[in-house]
Formats: sequence, structure tokens, C-alpha cells
Amino acid sequence: MGRYALQRLLGVIPLLFIVSVLVFLFIHLIPGDPARLIAGKDATLEEIHGIQEQLGLNLPLWKQYINYMGDLLTGNLGNSIRSGIPVTDMLESRIMPTLWLTFLSMAWALVIGLLIGVISAVYRNKWPDHLGTLTAISGMSIPGFWLGLVLIQIFSVELGWFPTGGVDSWKSYILPSITLGMGIMSMLARYSRSSMLETLREDYIRTGRAKGLREYVVISRHALRNSLIQVVTVAGLQFGFLLGGSVMVETVFSIPGLGRLLVDSILFRDYTVIQALLLLFSTQFILINLIVDLLYGVLNPKIRFSQ
Amino acid sequence: MKVKGKVWSMFMLLLITVVVTAGCGNKANNEGQGGNTAGGTETSTPTTKNDKDIVIAINSNFITLDPHNASDTHSISAARTMYEGLMGFDENMNVVPVLAASHSISEDGLVYTFNLQENVKFQDGTDFNAEAVKVNIARIQDEKNNLRLRKSFAKVAKVETPDAKTVVITLSEPYNAFLNKVAMAPIISPKALTENGADISKMPVGTGPFKFKEWVQGDRLVVEKNPDYWQKDLPKVDSITFRPVPENGSRIAMLKTGEADFIYPMPTEQVSEVEGLEGITVDTIDSTIVRYVTLNTMKKPFDDVKVRQAINYAINKEAYIKVVKSGLGAKLDSTMSSKTQYYSPQTGYDYDIEKAKQLLAEAGYPDGFETEIWGENESETMKGMQFIQQQLALVGIKVEVKSMEGGTLSDQINAAKTPEEAKIQMWYVSWSPSSGDADGATRGLFSSEMFPPAGSNTAYYKNENVDKWIAEANKAVDPEAAKSIYANIQKTVWEDAPWAFMGVDQIISGKRSNLEGVKVFPDGSINVLNAEVK
Repeated sequence: MGRYALQRLLGVIPLLFIVSVLVFLFIHLIPGDPARLIAGKDATLEEIHGIQEQLGLNLPLWKQYINYMGDLLTGNLGNSIRSGIPVTDMLESRIMPTLWLTFLSMAWALVIGLLIGVISAVYRNKWPDHLGTLTAISGMSIPGFWLGLVLIQIFSVELGWFPTGGVDSWKSYILPSITLGMGIMSMLARYSRSSMLETLREDYIRTGRAKGLREYVVISRHALRNSLIQVVTVAGLQFGFLLGGSVMVETVFSIPGLGRLLVDSILFRDYTVIQALLLLFSTQFILINLIVDLLYGVLNPKIRFSQ
Repeated sequence: MKVKGKVWSMFMLLLITVVVTAGCGNKANNEGQGGNTAGGTETSTPTTKNDKDIVIAINSNFITLDPHNASDTHSISAARTMYEGLMGFDENMNVVPVLAASHSISEDGLVYTFNLQENVKFQDGTDFNAEAVKVNIARIQDEKNNLRLRKSFAKVAKVETPDAKTVVITLSEPYNAFLNKVAMAPIISPKALTENGADISKMPVGTGPFKFKEWVQGDRLVVEKNPDYWQKDLPKVDSITFRPVPENGSRIAMLKTGEADFIYPMPTEQVSEVEGLEGITVDTIDSTIVRYVTLNTMKKPFDDVKVRQAINYAINKEAYIKVVKSGLGAKLDSTMSSKTQYYSPQTGYDYDIEKAKQLLAEAGYPDGFETEIWGENESETMKGMQFIQQQLALVGIKVEVKSMEGGTLSDQINAAKTPEEAKIQMWYVSWSPSSGDADGATRGLFSSEMFPPAGSNTAYYKNENVDKWIAEANKAVDPEAAKSIYANIQKTVWEDAPWAFMGVDQIISGKRSNLEGVKVFPDGSINVLNAEVK
């Protein structure tokens, strides 16, 4: 498996190269001149040209690309066009809040989602199933933005239990992670329920039961483990989206994370920051996919051997 | 069924964990905050703060702390907590001396002499003196640095320092707005400039009331009391924490819970939500921000002044303030706000639908015409455009609303290199002169040299008198003369109506009632010099 992992890791490099080209081209295709946006409404043409020159934006696109790739290969992500701060500094200060938020959301969403799914499947068409379905459907349909504001109103303003935003302590992460995890929790609940139901119909489960295995063992050791494969795939993909997609939650709860940085950077066409962020998101997406693939092997050794 | 029991007990265990964790959070929080009360809507938690550390929540991040390169209002506010200039602004945007004890201007308007305050030190312990001023102006003027303030000092020919407390600045030609520009230029410690180099934008050192403590980008900027501040008994608070909180609802929640002592801006539609709550005060002042619709005067049918005037008569400005601005704003009655230098109020264009129809008929459009309006895709702007669409429909003008993202819109407008290429017809937009000066509120908008992409004259307005007056006003040495020239400009532009004159924004901020002295100036910058917790 170690060799397989290494092979896959090396495969990431050409993929990242392609991504970097696409990201560069796409960004330069968006309308909007960063120099003008940075200089402000009352800027003179001279000022705007000065900024363009300073940032190398007046060069032909292919030259800009060569400069960008040259920097990238030496590990230099450049400085933010807008603030002049090194992009690595910006990413460094913004990455932890996003990571914490994502991991926390994912953790509780996985646990609760799986629990609801398994319980729903075991008690199919009975009231726990109906309750689980209701929870999952509501969780999926509630807009995150609205949920965040409602949570703030109830738990921060009325009850005073949690801060309304910022990242001062672990308490700051509770409400945002509930908001962010709700959709995924619901989705995982639905997936694990159907996956579990499918597995419970399999012959080996019947065999297990016929052999007199205890129901607990049948469900946790055999059924759950096998239905997890589908769930892991969904969870992995969702996790990828979460990291890049926490924009809304970071805005509502004023969390200084990567999502908000991306939105701010896009508004001001801060090319260097957008490029770095998109590369980062693509890399983590690719890595998570790799991890998911490796997890398959752990969950079901048959998959590993057939590689 | 033993198995099911196990699953359930796991579930219950989790539930209990969650509840207990939340409960602990509650306790800790209450201890920290001095007791919150729970209850109905009147729960604006009257937390009394005994410490003198105040929190100000604003709507976006700071971009830079380099005071010579800041162009957004929040960065300017932040810089002003730590930096001071020779001149500054009072709360009506009048230019007042700060680090200059006094100043004089030669009769020909070319030589500005500043006498500096005694016993002022930078926060790094070095002396504030004439040499420091000279170093700063040299930095601003240096082309290599490409700083935002450079164009404001383009007319400075030389800077002399006859002694340590006197600075003499000579201009190449008279420049009426120069003092306003000096007020926009804070003085950085020369020692820090040499030592910190490019990092000065992250490590500010000035003479201001507060010292830099910490800047965690996107999360907070903390400044602390400068114990050696030169003005007696100031500042009165120990520290100020600025927090960017982009979401309007979250800022209001912070004010209610007491997590923030001051929030700005307060969204107009949410003022009613907090007004009357115990412990919270809402402040409003008129700003220098004007809202208007530019009408492309080189394009049919807007090339006819009667059409432009008809549009001004056809829009009910009072209703506009009520509907779009939730009643918080004023009718725009000139080309600039009453808080801008040399403002001169105009009369006319009162809502009169019959007059509008008559003017349209005279111009040859008795049944109106079709056109389009551009604007940004932000919700209040869209509401404004829809309001204009509805109003103009009543006189037969069919307006199509086209909202665009800021960068895209800017491209659309600046893509035209000549007036003939311009596609713009109507644009609903706002403008604020950064230093509150009349030139800043006039030249970029009405000078024929300022057609896009060179400037923001998106009405493609050209009037030879106005062009001439703009040049003259700048060179006028006597403020009274300048005032009368600007009065002429405002009157002429008002009659020519290259804009649909809409409104003046109000600046709305919210604060805990025990906080005093924090003020938002008409240009939207926050002043904390006199902040005090009572």
C-alpha cells in the first residue's frame, strides 16, 4: 500500500501543473483591472499605470505566466497585489481557523450523521426512522446563512452562551461548526441509511444472523463496516468542498479564515492571493481524494488486493 | 433487543455531552462578562465594562497600515489612531492644525510655512521635528514608492527646514486644496522608516494617541494607549480593538451582547431593530457621500438638457430617501454634500411629474423612451435602481436595470477610450471626496479632462466655463474667491443637470451608551482620540 500511496502522490504533480495553468488563465479572463480597483475611484491614469508597472500587469500574458511559474517553482507565492503583504504570511494566518472549523464540522457531522443513518436503517419505517428522516431533510433544506443568524440570536444574544463571532476560544467554533456541518450531517445521514439498508439485505448478513451472531455484532462489525465505503466517498468529497466553501459561515461569524480571504481577494482581483488559494484548495482536494482511496483499502481489504 | 439499547445509549451519551459542554460554556461566559441576562427582545444585556479596553466592530478588513498608501476609509481610520499629520480634520471636516502649532500661506499662495508643536515625540522615543516632515514628504514624492498620496504632493517644488521647528513648503503653482492634502499626510518616524523598510505597513510608528500592539489580519487590530502622548490627559482608554465583522446582523448582535462597544456602519434597515434598546445609542450625521445617477450627456436622448431636467423633476427624492434609505439621509441639493468645503446649496427640481412630462414633450419625447441604468449588484444599490425605474416609468421612460459586480462594472465603464465608444447611459453611483475638499468633489466628476478612463466624469459633461473655473478655483489664494468660484460651478452644473441628483448618505453608528467620544467623521473615518468609558 505504501508504494501505491507514493505512486498516487507523485501523480499529483502533473495534475497540479495543469491546475496552475488553468487557474492562471481563468483569473486573467475575469473582467476587472486590479490596478484600477486598488487605486480607487479618484485615481489618475498615471497612478493606475504606475501600479500596473509595479505589479508587472502591463507585461504580455505569457511573460506574466512565466514569471508566475518561476516564482511558484522556487516556492515564492508573491505578495498580495492589494496590500503588499507576502501571500504565504496571509495563508499562514488564515489557515488555522478554517482548518479547525472544517475538522470540527466534519467530526460532529460524521458521528451524528452516521448515528442517525444507522438508527434509521435499523428501525426502518418506525418512529426513530421518521424522526431521523425529518432531521436530515430539515438540515438539508435550512439555508446555512439563516441558520447561522438564528443560532447567533438564540445562543449569543438571548442566552449569552457563545460569542457572536471571532476566534478567541474553542467556544467561538461551536456555533459556526454547527452551521457548517448541518448540511453534511444530513447528507451523511441519508447516505448511511440507504447504504446500511442495502447491506442489511445482503446474504452474508443473513448468514451471520443464521449463525447466531448477536445483532450488535452483525450491525457494527459487518453491516456498518461495509456500508461505510459509500459514506467515506461522500464524506471525503464533502470535506474537500468544506475547506474551500466555508465562505458563508466565515462571513456570518466573522472568522478570519481562507474562505473570507478568497472572497475579499476576488472582489479586488488580487491575482496572487486568488492563485495561491485556488492552488491550495486544489491540492487539498487531490490529497483528500487520495486519502479516501487509501481508506477503501483499510475498510475492505479486497479492494486493496485487486489494485 | 439488547443491541438497539446500546445504539440508543450511545446516542444519549452524545446528547448529554453536547448539553453539558454548552452549559459549561454558559457559566464561563457569564463570569467573564459580568453577568448576562436572558429574556425577550429587550435583552440588550446591559453589561457595564469596568475595564478601559474598547472594541469597535467595522464591516471590512484593514488593507494596510501605511498611512501614505491607504486609500480605503478603514485603513485611514486605523492609521489615524497611531499617526498624526501637520494638519487634521475636525468633526465637520474643517482643516485644523495638529502637529503644526500654526501655519501661514504667502500672498501668492506658493509658500506654506508651518511652525511645529514643541515637545512631541514619536512612539519610538525619537523627536518629532522639521527634518522628520521633510523625510516624509520625500518618501511620498518618490516615484519608486508609488504611494497613493503622491499625486497630492505633485505640486510641491521644495521643502526647507530653516530650523528644527519650522518647515517651509514651496509649491510650483498655487493649489487651493493643498492644506486638505497636508491633513491627509500623517508623519511617520524617520527612524522606523529606515529600520522597518517595507514592513512599515505592518509596524506603524507615529506620534498619535495610540501605539501599535497587534494586527492579526482579518481578525483584529489592537492599539494601546501611548503613555507619552503630547496632548494632556489623552487618551482616556487603555486600548482599542478593531474587529472586521462583514455581516450586518453579526455586528448588531455584537453590540447587543456587549462584545462590541461601537459598531460602524450600522445598516439603515436595521436601525429600528436596536433603537430604544436599553444601553444602546444610535448616532447619525450627514456624510460627504453623495448618491446620484450620471446621464451620458453625449448620448441621445440625454444630450438634451430638457430630458435631463425632466428626469430630475420626475424622481421624488423625498420618497427615495424613505424607500431606499429607510428615511436616513437627505436630499442632494448641490453637486456636493453640505459637509464638503465650499458647498453652496441650490434650489429647484422639486418633484413635479407634469413639468417632467412637459419638458420631455418639448425635447421631442412626448411618449418617453427606452434606456438602461447600470449599478453594482449590492442589495441597496439594486433597490435604488428599481426605485428610479419605477419613478421614470410614470413619465413614460422605460428603464432596464443592469446590475454588475464591481470589477466588471469598472471594466465596462473604463473600456471606452473616447466618449463616442462609451456604452454607458445612466449609472447609479456614489462619490465621496477623500479629503473633504471641493476640488476632490468637482474635478474628477465635471472636468472634461476627466472622461473615463482618465477620471470619473461618466456623464461626459463638458462645459467650458466649468473647465475654466475648476482650473481657476485651484489657483485661488483667497478662500472667499475660491468659494465664489465653486458656487458658480455648483450653480452651472445644477442647471445643466448631467446627473439625476439623488441624496446625501447619513453616517449611522451604534454604541453602548457608556461609551463616549468615539465619532465617525463625515468622510466615514472613525475618530477615537476622545474615547472614554463612563
